[in-house]
Amino acid sequence: MENIISIKDVTYTYPDSEAPAIKNLSLDIHSNEWLSIVGKNGSGKSTLTKLIDGLIECDSGTIEIAGQIINEENIWEAREKIGIIFQNPDHQFVGATVEDDVAFGLENQGVPRDKMVKEVNEALKMVDMQEYKTRDPQSLSGGQKQRVAIAGVLATKPQIIIMDESTSMLDPNGRKTVLDLIKRLRHEQNMTIISITHDIEETQLSERIVVLNDGQVVKDDEPKSIYDLGPELTNFGLEEPFSSQVASSLRDTIKLPEGYLNEEELIDNVWKSFSKM
Amino acid sequence: MNKLILGRYLPGDSLIYQLDPRGKFLITFYFIGIVFLANNVVSYGFLLLFVLFAVYLSKINLGFFLRGLRPMFWLILFTVVLQMFFTPSKTPLWSFGILTLSKEGLIISAYIFIRFVLIIFVSTLLTLTTTPIEISDSIESILKPLKAIKFPVTQVALMLSIALRFVPLLIDETAKIMDAQRARGVDFGEGGLIKRIKSFVPILIPLFVSSFSIAYDLAIAMESRGYKDGEGRSKYRVLSWSMRDTLAAIVMLVITVILLFIRSY
Repeated sequence: MENIISIKDVTYTYPDSEAPAIKNLSLDIHSNEWLSIVGKNGSGKSTLTKLIDGLIECDSGTIEIAGQIINEENIWEAREKIGIIFQNPDHQFVGATVEDDVAFGLENQGVPRDKMVKEVNEALKMVDMQEYKTRDPQSLSGGQKQRVAIAGVLATKPQIIIMDESTSMLDPNGRKTVLDLIKRLRHEQNMTIISITHDIEETQLSERIVVLNDGQVVKDDEPKSIYDLGPELTNFGLEEPFSSQVASSLRDTIKLPEGYLNEEELIDNVWKSFSKM
Repeated sequence: MNKLILGRYLPGDSLIYQLDPRGKFLITFYFIGIVFLANNVVSYGFLLLFVLFAVYLSKINLGFFLRGLRPMFWLILFTVVLQMFFTPSKTPLWSFGILTLSKEGLIISAYIFIRFVLIIFVSTLLTLTTTPIEISDSIESILKPLKAIKFPVTQVALMLSIALRFVPLLIDETAKIMDAQRARGVDFGEGGLIKRIKSFVPILIPLFVSSFSIAYDLAIAMESRGYKDGEGRSKYRVLSWSMRDTLAAIVMLVITVILLFIRSY
Protein backbone atom coordinates (compact mmCIF):
# COMPACT_ATOMS: atom_id res chain seq x y z
CA MET A 1 0.00 0.00 0.00
CA GLU A 2 1.12 3.53 -0.74
CA ASN A 3 2.37 5.60 2.18
CA ILE A 4 0.82 9.04 2.55
CA ILE A 5 2.94 9.93 5.57
CA SER A 6 6.36 8.54 6.18
CA ILE A 7 8.18 9.49 9.37
CA LYS A 8 11.85 8.51 9.52
CA ASP A 9 13.96 8.56 12.64
CA VAL A 10 12.45 11.73 14.05
CA THR A 11 13.61 13.25 17.35
CA TYR A 12 12.17 16.33 18.98
CA THR A 13 12.92 18.00 22.30
CA TYR A 14 10.87 20.92 23.61
CA PRO A 15 13.00 24.04 24.14
CA ASP A 16 12.35 24.11 27.89
CA SER A 17 12.88 20.42 28.60
CA GLU A 18 15.82 18.02 28.74
CA ALA A 19 14.29 14.69 27.77
CA PRO A 20 13.15 14.39 24.15
CA ALA A 21 9.37 14.22 23.64
CA ILE A 22 9.86 12.10 20.51
CA LYS A 23 12.82 9.71 20.27
CA ASN A 24 14.04 8.26 16.95
CA LEU A 25 10.50 7.58 15.91
CA SER A 26 9.75 5.98 12.55
CA LEU A 27 6.24 5.34 11.31
CA ASP A 28 4.55 4.81 7.96
CA ILE A 29 0.93 5.76 7.50
CA HIS A 30 -0.82 4.27 4.51
CA SER A 31 -3.12 6.06 2.18
CA ASN A 32 -6.80 5.77 3.14
CA GLU A 33 -6.21 3.90 6.38
CA TRP A 34 -7.73 4.73 9.75
CA LEU A 35 -4.94 4.74 12.29
CA SER A 36 -5.31 5.18 16.02
CA ILE A 37 -2.46 6.58 18.06
CA VAL A 38 -2.75 5.83 21.75
CA GLY A 39 -0.56 6.34 24.77
CA LYS A 40 -0.49 7.85 28.24
CA ASN A 41 -0.50 11.58 28.79
CA GLY A 42 2.95 12.87 27.92
CA SER A 43 3.77 9.93 25.67
CA GLY A 44 4.27 12.28 22.71
CA LYS A 45 0.99 11.86 20.82
CA SER A 46 0.18 15.54 20.44
CA THR A 47 3.81 16.41 19.77
CA LEU A 48 3.72 13.93 16.90
CA THR A 49 0.68 15.64 15.31
CA LYS A 50 2.34 19.02 15.60
CA LEU A 51 5.44 17.61 13.92
CA ILE A 52 3.40 16.10 11.10
CA ASP A 53 1.68 19.43 10.48
CA GLY A 54 4.98 21.30 10.69
CA LEU A 55 3.74 23.39 13.60
CA ILE A 56 7.00 22.49 15.27
CA GLU A 57 10.17 21.50 13.47
CA CYS A 58 11.91 18.19 14.20
CA ASP A 59 15.49 18.27 15.53
CA SER A 60 16.56 15.35 13.35
CA GLY A 61 14.96 12.91 10.93
CA THR A 62 12.53 13.55 8.10
CA ILE A 63 8.79 13.62 7.60
CA GLU A 64 7.42 12.92 4.16
CA ILE A 65 3.89 13.90 3.27
CA ALA A 66 2.39 12.67 0.00
CA GLY A 67 5.83 11.99 -1.36
CA GLN A 68 7.42 15.27 -0.32
CA ILE A 69 9.81 15.78 2.56
CA ILE A 70 8.51 18.77 4.47
CA ASN A 71 10.73 21.78 4.99
CA GLU A 72 10.25 25.47 5.55
CA GLU A 73 9.51 26.22 1.89
CA ASN A 74 6.81 23.65 1.23
CA ILE A 75 5.23 23.51 4.68
CA TRP A 76 2.19 25.59 3.69
CA GLU A 77 1.61 23.35 0.73
CA ALA A 78 1.87 20.26 2.94
CA ARG A 79 -0.45 21.82 5.50
CA GLU A 80 -3.17 22.18 2.87
CA LYS A 81 -3.21 18.40 2.63
CA ILE A 82 -3.81 17.98 6.36
CA GLY A 83 -6.76 19.03 8.48
CA ILE A 84 -6.63 18.82 12.26
CA ILE A 85 -9.59 18.73 14.57
CA PHE A 86 -8.49 19.68 18.06
CA GLN A 87 -9.76 18.70 21.47
CA ASN A 88 -11.53 21.82 22.68
CA PRO A 89 -14.29 22.92 20.33
CA ASP A 90 -14.25 26.47 21.71
CA HIS A 91 -10.54 27.00 21.24
CA GLN A 92 -10.56 26.41 17.48
CA PHE A 93 -13.59 28.44 16.46
CA VAL A 94 -12.21 31.49 14.69
CA GLY A 95 -15.22 32.94 12.90
CA ALA A 96 -18.04 34.98 14.38
CA THR A 97 -20.63 32.68 12.83
CA VAL A 98 -20.68 29.09 11.57
CA GLU A 99 -20.23 30.07 7.91
CA ASP A 100 -17.42 32.50 8.72
CA ASP A 101 -15.58 29.79 10.58
CA VAL A 102 -15.92 27.27 7.77
CA ALA A 103 -14.66 29.90 5.33
CA PHE A 104 -11.55 30.69 7.40
CA GLY A 105 -9.31 28.04 5.81
CA LEU A 106 -10.49 29.01 2.32
CA GLU A 107 -9.86 32.69 3.03
CA ASN A 108 -6.31 31.79 4.03
CA GLN A 109 -5.78 30.10 0.68
CA GLY A 110 -7.10 33.17 -1.10
CA VAL A 111 -9.98 31.33 -2.76
CA PRO A 112 -12.23 33.75 -4.72
CA ARG A 113 -15.49 34.59 -2.99
CA ASP A 114 -17.93 32.90 -5.42
CA LYS A 115 -16.11 29.62 -5.13
CA MET A 116 -15.85 30.07 -1.37
CA VAL A 117 -19.62 30.49 -0.93
CA LYS A 118 -20.19 27.30 -2.89
CA GLU A 119 -17.62 25.29 -0.94
CA VAL A 120 -18.78 26.54 2.45
CA ASN A 121 -22.30 25.37 1.59
CA GLU A 122 -21.03 22.02 0.38
CA ALA A 123 -18.91 21.46 3.48
CA LEU A 124 -21.80 22.38 5.78
CA LYS A 125 -24.03 19.99 3.90
CA MET A 126 -21.54 17.16 4.37
CA VAL A 127 -21.63 17.57 8.13
CA ASP A 128 -25.38 18.25 8.10
CA MET A 129 -25.18 21.72 9.64
CA GLN A 130 -26.65 23.87 6.83
CA GLU A 131 -29.49 25.20 8.92
CA TYR A 132 -27.02 26.56 11.48
CA LYS A 133 -25.11 28.56 8.89
CA THR A 134 -25.66 32.01 10.37
CA ARG A 135 -25.60 30.99 14.03
CA ASP A 136 -22.94 32.13 16.44
CA PRO A 137 -20.83 29.49 18.21
CA GLN A 138 -22.36 30.24 21.62
CA SER A 139 -25.67 28.80 20.50
CA LEU A 140 -24.19 25.43 19.47
CA SER A 141 -23.56 22.26 21.47
CA GLY A 142 -20.06 20.77 21.73
CA GLY A 143 -20.83 18.11 19.13
CA GLN A 144 -22.20 20.71 16.74
CA LYS A 145 -19.11 22.87 17.19
CA GLN A 146 -16.88 19.91 16.37
CA ARG A 147 -18.98 19.25 13.28
CA VAL A 148 -18.40 22.86 12.23
CA ALA A 149 -14.68 22.34 12.84
CA ILE A 150 -14.83 19.26 10.60
CA ALA A 151 -16.66 21.27 7.93
CA GLY A 152 -13.95 23.93 8.15
CA VAL A 153 -11.34 21.26 7.55
CA LEU A 154 -13.32 19.56 4.77
CA ALA A 155 -13.84 22.82 2.90
CA THR A 156 -10.13 22.90 2.06
CA LYS A 157 -10.30 19.30 0.80
CA PRO A 158 -7.43 17.70 2.73
CA GLN A 159 -6.23 14.13 2.12
CA ILE A 160 -5.49 13.52 5.77
CA ILE A 161 -7.60 14.29 8.82
CA ILE A 162 -5.99 14.22 12.23
CA MET A 163 -8.33 14.02 15.20
CA ASP A 164 -6.41 15.17 18.24
CA GLU A 165 -8.64 13.81 20.99
CA SER A 166 -11.50 15.54 19.18
CA THR A 167 -14.23 13.61 20.92
CA SER A 168 -12.87 13.67 24.46
CA MET A 169 -14.83 16.76 25.52
CA LEU A 170 -18.13 15.65 24.01
CA ASP A 171 -21.06 13.85 25.58
CA PRO A 172 -21.78 10.30 24.32
CA ASN A 173 -24.29 11.60 21.81
CA GLY A 174 -21.96 14.23 20.41
CA ARG A 175 -19.17 11.68 20.25
CA LYS A 176 -21.32 9.26 18.31
CA THR A 177 -22.41 11.83 15.72
CA VAL A 178 -18.82 12.98 15.19
CA LEU A 179 -17.48 9.44 14.80
CA ASP A 180 -20.32 8.38 12.48
CA LEU A 181 -19.59 11.44 10.40
CA ILE A 182 -15.88 10.67 10.14
CA LYS A 183 -16.66 7.05 9.26
CA ARG A 184 -18.96 8.17 6.44
CA LEU A 185 -16.69 10.92 5.12
CA ARG A 186 -13.69 8.69 5.01
CA HIS A 187 -15.38 6.44 2.46
CA GLU A 188 -17.00 9.26 0.52
CA GLN A 189 -13.88 11.40 0.33
CA ASN A 190 -11.23 8.68 0.36
CA MET A 191 -9.33 10.20 3.26
CA THR A 192 -6.68 9.00 5.66
CA ILE A 193 -7.74 9.31 9.28
CA ILE A 194 -5.31 9.58 12.16
CA SER A 195 -7.09 9.52 15.46
CA ILE A 196 -5.37 10.29 18.72
CA THR A 197 -7.49 8.97 21.50
CA HIS A 198 -7.92 7.46 24.94
CA ASP A 199 -11.27 6.02 23.99
CA ILE A 200 -11.23 2.29 23.33
CA GLU A 201 -14.50 2.44 21.39
CA GLU A 202 -12.91 4.87 18.99
CA THR A 203 -9.92 2.59 18.37
CA GLN A 204 -12.30 -0.19 17.39
CA LEU A 205 -13.19 1.83 14.29
CA SER A 206 -9.58 1.89 13.16
CA GLU A 207 -7.57 -0.63 11.18
CA ARG A 208 -4.33 -0.20 13.03
CA ILE A 209 -3.30 0.96 16.49
CA VAL A 210 0.07 2.49 17.24
CA VAL A 211 0.98 2.66 20.92
CA LEU A 212 3.38 5.39 21.95
CA ASN A 213 5.33 5.42 25.17
CA ASP A 214 8.06 7.90 26.09
CA GLY A 215 8.17 9.22 22.55
CA GLN A 216 8.65 5.84 20.93
CA VAL A 217 6.42 3.36 19.14
CA VAL A 218 6.11 0.38 21.47
CA LYS A 219 3.34 -1.50 19.67
CA ASP A 220 2.05 -1.28 16.13
CA ASP A 221 -0.59 -3.81 15.18
CA GLU A 222 -4.19 -4.42 14.23
CA PRO A 223 -6.72 -3.67 17.01
CA LYS A 224 -7.46 -7.33 17.75
CA SER A 225 -3.84 -8.09 18.67
CA ILE A 226 -3.53 -4.91 20.71
CA TYR A 227 -6.65 -5.80 22.69
CA ASP A 228 -5.01 -9.17 23.42
CA LEU A 229 -2.81 -7.31 25.87
CA GLY A 230 -5.85 -7.22 28.18
CA PRO A 231 -5.28 -5.47 31.50
CA GLU A 232 -1.84 -4.34 30.31
CA LEU A 233 -3.63 -1.79 28.10
CA THR A 234 -4.10 0.54 31.07
CA ASN A 235 -0.33 1.13 31.00
CA PHE A 236 -0.84 2.75 27.61
CA GLY A 237 -3.63 5.05 28.67
CA LEU A 238 -6.38 2.82 27.37
CA GLU A 239 -9.14 0.98 29.11
CA GLU A 240 -9.54 -2.72 28.43
CA PRO A 241 -12.44 -3.30 26.01
CA PHE A 242 -15.63 -4.32 27.76
CA SER A 243 -15.81 -7.75 26.07
CA SER A 244 -12.24 -8.44 27.12
CA GLN A 245 -13.01 -7.51 30.74
CA VAL A 246 -16.01 -9.86 30.73
CA ALA A 247 -13.96 -12.61 29.10
CA SER A 248 -11.21 -12.45 31.71
CA SER A 249 -13.70 -12.70 34.55
CA LEU A 250 -15.42 -15.63 32.83
CA ARG A 251 -12.24 -17.56 32.08
CA ASP A 252 -12.20 -19.17 35.57
CA THR A 253 -15.63 -20.73 35.09
CA ILE A 254 -16.03 -21.24 31.35
CA LYS A 255 -13.47 -22.48 28.89
CA LEU A 256 -12.90 -19.70 26.39
CA PRO A 257 -10.41 -19.56 23.52
CA GLU A 258 -7.22 -17.60 24.14
CA GLY A 259 -6.86 -14.04 22.91
CA TYR A 260 -9.21 -11.12 22.32
CA LEU A 261 -12.85 -11.78 21.52
CA ASN A 262 -15.14 -9.05 20.34
CA GLU A 263 -18.64 -8.86 21.76
CA GLU A 264 -20.17 -11.15 19.15
CA GLU A 265 -17.46 -13.79 19.42
CA LEU A 266 -17.75 -13.74 23.18
CA ILE A 267 -21.51 -14.22 23.07
CA ASP A 268 -21.15 -17.10 20.61
CA ASN A 269 -18.58 -18.80 22.80
CA VAL A 270 -20.63 -18.39 25.92
CA TRP A 271 -23.81 -19.89 24.54
CA LYS A 272 -21.87 -22.70 22.86
CA SER A 273 -20.20 -23.66 26.11
CA PHE A 274 -23.57 -23.72 27.84
CA SER A 275 -25.19 -25.87 25.18
CA LYS A 276 -22.33 -28.39 25.55
CA MET A 277 -22.97 -28.77 29.28
CA MET B 1 -22.46 41.01 31.78
CA ASN B 2 -22.94 39.16 28.52
CA LYS B 3 -26.07 41.19 27.83
CA LEU B 4 -24.23 44.43 28.47
CA ILE B 5 -21.54 43.93 25.86
CA LEU B 6 -22.90 41.76 23.11
CA GLY B 7 -26.59 41.34 23.77
CA ARG B 8 -27.26 44.76 22.34
CA TYR B 9 -27.76 43.59 18.81
CA LEU B 10 -31.42 42.85 18.26
CA PRO B 11 -32.10 40.53 15.33
CA GLY B 12 -34.61 42.13 13.01
CA ASP B 13 -35.23 43.38 9.54
CA SER B 14 -36.03 46.90 8.37
CA LEU B 15 -34.56 49.64 6.25
CA ILE B 16 -32.11 50.60 9.00
CA TYR B 17 -30.93 46.99 9.31
CA GLN B 18 -30.33 46.78 5.58
CA LEU B 19 -28.15 49.86 5.40
CA ASP B 20 -24.48 49.24 4.83
CA PRO B 21 -22.77 49.07 8.24
CA ARG B 22 -19.98 51.39 7.07
CA GLY B 23 -22.52 54.04 6.17
CA LYS B 24 -24.40 53.57 9.42
CA PHE B 25 -21.20 53.76 11.41
CA LEU B 26 -20.05 56.99 9.77
CA ILE B 27 -23.52 58.57 9.77
CA THR B 28 -23.88 57.89 13.48
CA PHE B 29 -20.63 59.69 14.24
CA TYR B 30 -21.48 62.47 11.85
CA PHE B 31 -24.86 62.92 13.52
CA ILE B 32 -23.28 63.08 16.98
CA GLY B 33 -21.12 65.86 15.58
CA ILE B 34 -23.95 67.92 14.15
CA VAL B 35 -26.02 67.61 17.33
CA PHE B 36 -23.67 70.30 18.68
CA LEU B 37 -24.74 72.68 15.93
CA ALA B 38 -28.25 72.95 17.36
CA ASN B 39 -28.74 76.11 19.38
CA ASN B 40 -32.45 76.84 19.71
CA VAL B 41 -35.80 75.18 20.36
CA VAL B 42 -36.59 74.69 16.67
CA SER B 43 -33.24 73.07 15.85
CA TYR B 44 -33.39 70.69 18.81
CA GLY B 45 -37.00 69.88 17.99
CA PHE B 46 -36.01 69.23 14.37
CA LEU B 47 -33.22 66.80 15.35
CA LEU B 48 -35.46 65.05 17.86
CA LEU B 49 -38.09 64.56 15.18
CA PHE B 50 -35.47 63.19 12.82
CA VAL B 51 -34.19 60.69 15.40
CA LEU B 52 -37.69 59.58 16.28
CA PHE B 53 -38.36 59.09 12.58
CA ALA B 54 -35.22 56.93 12.29
CA VAL B 55 -36.38 54.91 15.32
CA TYR B 56 -39.73 54.49 13.62
CA LEU B 57 -38.01 53.29 10.43
CA SER B 58 -36.00 50.72 12.39
CA LYS B 59 -39.28 49.08 13.52
CA ILE B 60 -37.76 48.60 16.97
CA ASN B 61 -39.85 49.26 20.04
CA LEU B 62 -39.07 52.65 21.62
CA GLY B 63 -38.68 50.84 24.96
CA PHE B 64 -35.31 49.45 23.86
CA PHE B 65 -34.04 52.99 23.34
CA LEU B 66 -35.35 54.22 26.67
CA ARG B 67 -33.56 51.27 28.27
CA GLY B 68 -30.39 52.56 26.61
CA LEU B 69 -30.71 55.70 28.73
CA ARG B 70 -30.74 53.76 31.97
CA PRO B 71 -26.98 53.14 32.41
CA MET B 72 -26.39 56.86 31.75
CA PHE B 73 -29.08 58.00 34.18
CA TRP B 74 -26.76 59.37 36.90
CA LEU B 75 -24.50 61.13 34.45
CA ILE B 76 -27.47 62.80 32.76
CA LEU B 77 -29.01 63.80 36.09
CA PHE B 78 -25.74 65.20 37.36
CA THR B 79 -25.08 67.28 34.24
CA VAL B 80 -28.63 68.55 33.99
CA VAL B 81 -28.80 69.56 37.67
CA LEU B 82 -25.41 71.25 37.43
CA GLN B 83 -26.57 73.35 34.46
CA MET B 84 -29.86 74.10 36.15
CA PHE B 85 -28.39 75.61 39.31
CA PHE B 86 -25.04 76.98 38.20
CA THR B 87 -25.95 78.99 35.10
CA PRO B 88 -25.29 82.64 36.02
CA SER B 89 -28.17 85.02 35.35
CA LYS B 90 -29.06 88.64 36.04
CA THR B 91 -32.70 87.79 36.65
CA PRO B 92 -32.75 84.71 38.85
CA LEU B 93 -36.09 83.15 39.69
CA TRP B 94 -34.65 81.86 42.90
CA SER B 95 -31.23 81.96 44.47
CA PHE B 96 -29.52 80.62 47.55
CA GLY B 97 -25.79 81.21 48.08
CA ILE B 98 -24.01 80.09 44.93
CA LEU B 99 -27.11 78.31 43.63
CA THR B 100 -29.24 80.23 41.17
CA LEU B 101 -32.26 79.01 39.31
CA SER B 102 -33.13 81.04 36.24
CA LYS B 103 -35.04 80.83 33.01
CA GLU B 104 -31.77 80.60 31.02
CA GLY B 105 -30.52 77.82 33.27
CA LEU B 106 -33.72 75.83 32.79
CA ILE B 107 -33.55 76.21 29.02
CA ILE B 108 -29.89 75.19 28.83
CA SER B 109 -30.44 72.15 31.01
CA ALA B 110 -33.38 71.13 28.85
CA TYR B 111 -31.12 71.42 25.76
CA ILE B 112 -28.44 69.33 27.42
CA PHE B 113 -31.00 66.70 28.30
CA ILE B 114 -32.23 66.53 24.70
CA ARG B 115 -28.63 66.36 23.49
CA PHE B 116 -28.01 63.32 25.69
CA VAL B 117 -31.20 61.68 24.47
CA LEU B 118 -30.27 62.31 20.84
CA ILE B 119 -26.75 60.94 21.16
CA ILE B 120 -27.81 57.89 23.14
CA PHE B 121 -30.69 57.14 20.79
CA VAL B 122 -28.59 57.22 17.62
CA SER B 123 -25.78 55.17 19.08
CA THR B 124 -28.30 52.66 20.43
CA LEU B 125 -29.84 52.57 16.97
CA LEU B 126 -26.43 51.65 15.55
CA THR B 127 -25.69 48.90 18.07
CA LEU B 128 -29.21 47.45 18.00
CA THR B 129 -29.26 47.09 14.23
CA THR B 130 -25.62 46.18 13.52
CA THR B 131 -23.90 42.96 14.62
CA PRO B 132 -20.50 43.35 16.32
CA ILE B 133 -18.86 41.61 13.39
CA GLU B 134 -20.42 44.10 10.97
CA ILE B 135 -19.04 46.91 13.09
CA SER B 136 -15.59 45.34 13.04
CA ASP B 137 -15.86 44.87 9.25
CA SER B 138 -16.76 48.54 8.84
CA ILE B 139 -13.85 49.63 10.98
CA GLU B 140 -11.57 47.55 8.76
CA SER B 141 -13.00 49.08 5.65
CA ILE B 142 -12.88 52.63 7.00
CA LEU B 143 -9.27 52.22 8.13
CA LYS B 144 -8.18 50.75 4.79
CA PRO B 145 -6.45 53.95 3.61
CA LEU B 146 -4.07 53.56 6.56
CA LYS B 147 -2.52 50.59 4.74
CA ALA B 148 -0.57 53.19 2.81
CA ILE B 149 1.40 54.01 5.96
CA LYS B 150 1.91 50.27 6.66
CA PHE B 151 -0.74 50.12 9.36
CA PRO B 152 -1.75 46.42 9.62
CA VAL B 153 -5.46 46.97 8.95
CA THR B 154 -6.49 43.38 8.15
CA GLN B 155 -4.63 42.01 11.15
CA VAL B 156 -6.22 44.57 13.45
CA ALA B 157 -9.65 43.72 12.06
CA LEU B 158 -9.06 40.00 12.64
CA MET B 159 -7.86 40.78 16.17
CA LEU B 160 -11.01 42.76 16.78
CA SER B 161 -13.30 40.03 15.52
CA ILE B 162 -11.47 37.36 17.54
CA ALA B 163 -11.65 39.57 20.61
CA LEU B 164 -15.40 39.93 20.12
CA ARG B 165 -15.67 36.17 19.66
CA PHE B 166 -13.80 35.53 22.92
CA VAL B 167 -15.70 37.89 25.20
CA PRO B 168 -18.45 35.37 26.00
CA LEU B 169 -15.85 32.60 26.30
CA LEU B 170 -13.88 34.58 28.89
CA ILE B 171 -17.09 35.41 30.74
CA ASP B 172 -17.81 31.67 30.99
CA GLU B 173 -14.25 31.12 32.15
CA THR B 174 -14.67 33.81 34.84
CA ALA B 175 -17.86 32.18 36.07
CA LYS B 176 -16.06 28.84 36.26
CA ILE B 177 -13.13 30.29 38.24
CA MET B 178 -15.51 32.13 40.59
CA ASP B 179 -17.37 28.89 41.24
CA ALA B 180 -14.10 27.11 41.92
CA GLN B 181 -13.08 29.85 44.39
CA ARG B 182 -16.50 29.81 46.03
CA ALA B 183 -16.17 26.05 46.50
CA ARG B 184 -12.98 26.83 48.45
CA GLY B 185 -14.87 29.26 50.64
CA VAL B 186 -14.34 32.66 49.05
CA ASP B 187 -17.29 35.00 49.50
CA PHE B 188 -17.38 37.62 46.77
CA GLY B 189 -20.29 39.63 48.14
CA GLU B 190 -18.92 40.19 51.64
CA GLY B 191 -16.88 42.91 53.31
CA GLY B 192 -16.00 46.47 52.41
CA LEU B 193 -14.97 47.83 49.07
CA ILE B 194 -11.26 47.11 49.57
CA LYS B 195 -11.96 43.55 50.64
CA ARG B 196 -14.21 42.98 47.67
CA ILE B 197 -11.66 44.31 45.24
CA LYS B 198 -9.02 42.12 46.87
CA SER B 199 -11.18 39.04 46.45
CA PHE B 200 -11.05 39.59 42.68
CA VAL B 201 -7.28 39.06 42.51
CA PRO B 202 -7.65 35.27 42.78
CA ILE B 203 -10.03 35.48 39.81
CA LEU B 204 -7.93 37.69 37.62
CA ILE B 205 -4.74 35.68 37.84
CA PRO B 206 -6.21 32.33 36.75
CA LEU B 207 -8.24 34.16 34.12
CA PHE B 208 -5.08 35.71 32.77
CA VAL B 209 -3.32 32.35 32.66
CA SER B 210 -6.21 30.59 30.98
CA SER B 211 -6.66 33.29 28.39
CA PHE B 212 -3.04 32.77 27.42
CA SER B 213 -3.57 29.06 27.04
CA ILE B 214 -6.72 29.66 24.96
CA ALA B 215 -4.75 32.07 22.80
CA TYR B 216 -2.05 29.46 22.31
CA ASP B 217 -4.58 26.79 21.30
CA LEU B 218 -6.26 29.19 18.92
CA ALA B 219 -2.97 30.23 17.35
CA ILE B 220 -2.09 26.58 16.70
CA ALA B 221 -5.56 25.93 15.25
CA MET B 222 -5.31 29.00 13.01
CA GLU B 223 -1.88 28.06 11.77
CA SER B 224 -2.96 24.49 11.06
CA ARG B 225 -5.73 25.95 8.91
CA GLY B 226 -3.19 27.87 6.89
CA TYR B 227 -3.28 31.35 8.46
CA LYS B 228 -0.01 33.06 7.58
CA ASP B 229 0.04 36.77 8.24
CA GLY B 230 -3.18 38.17 6.92
CA GLU B 231 -1.82 39.03 3.49
CA GLY B 232 -3.00 37.22 0.40
CA ARG B 233 -6.26 36.28 2.03
CA SER B 234 -9.59 36.55 0.33
CA LYS B 235 -12.67 37.71 2.21
CA TYR B 236 -15.83 35.73 2.76
CA ARG B 237 -17.89 38.61 4.09
CA VAL B 238 -18.45 41.43 1.68
CA LEU B 239 -20.09 44.75 2.35
CA SER B 240 -22.13 46.18 -0.46
CA TRP B 241 -22.84 49.86 -0.81
CA SER B 242 -26.13 50.43 -2.58
CA MET B 243 -28.35 53.26 -3.73
CA ARG B 244 -30.13 53.54 -0.37
CA ASP B 245 -26.81 54.08 1.41
CA THR B 246 -26.00 56.97 -0.87
CA LEU B 247 -29.51 58.30 -0.24
CA ALA B 248 -28.98 58.04 3.53
CA ALA B 249 -25.78 60.09 3.15
CA ILE B 250 -27.62 62.71 1.08
CA VAL B 251 -30.36 62.88 3.72
CA MET B 252 -27.66 63.64 6.28
CA LEU B 253 -26.34 66.48 4.13
CA VAL B 254 -29.83 67.92 3.73
CA ILE B 255 -30.32 67.70 7.49
CA THR B 256 -27.07 69.64 8.00
CA VAL B 257 -28.11 72.37 5.59
CA ILE B 258 -31.53 72.72 7.24
CA LEU B 259 -29.88 72.80 10.63
CA LEU B 260 -27.46 75.54 9.61
CA PHE B 261 -30.37 77.50 8.24
CA ILE B 262 -32.47 77.17 11.42
CA ARG B 263 -29.43 78.02 13.50
CA SER B 264 -28.78 81.36 11.86
CA TYR B 265 -32.42 82.20 11.47
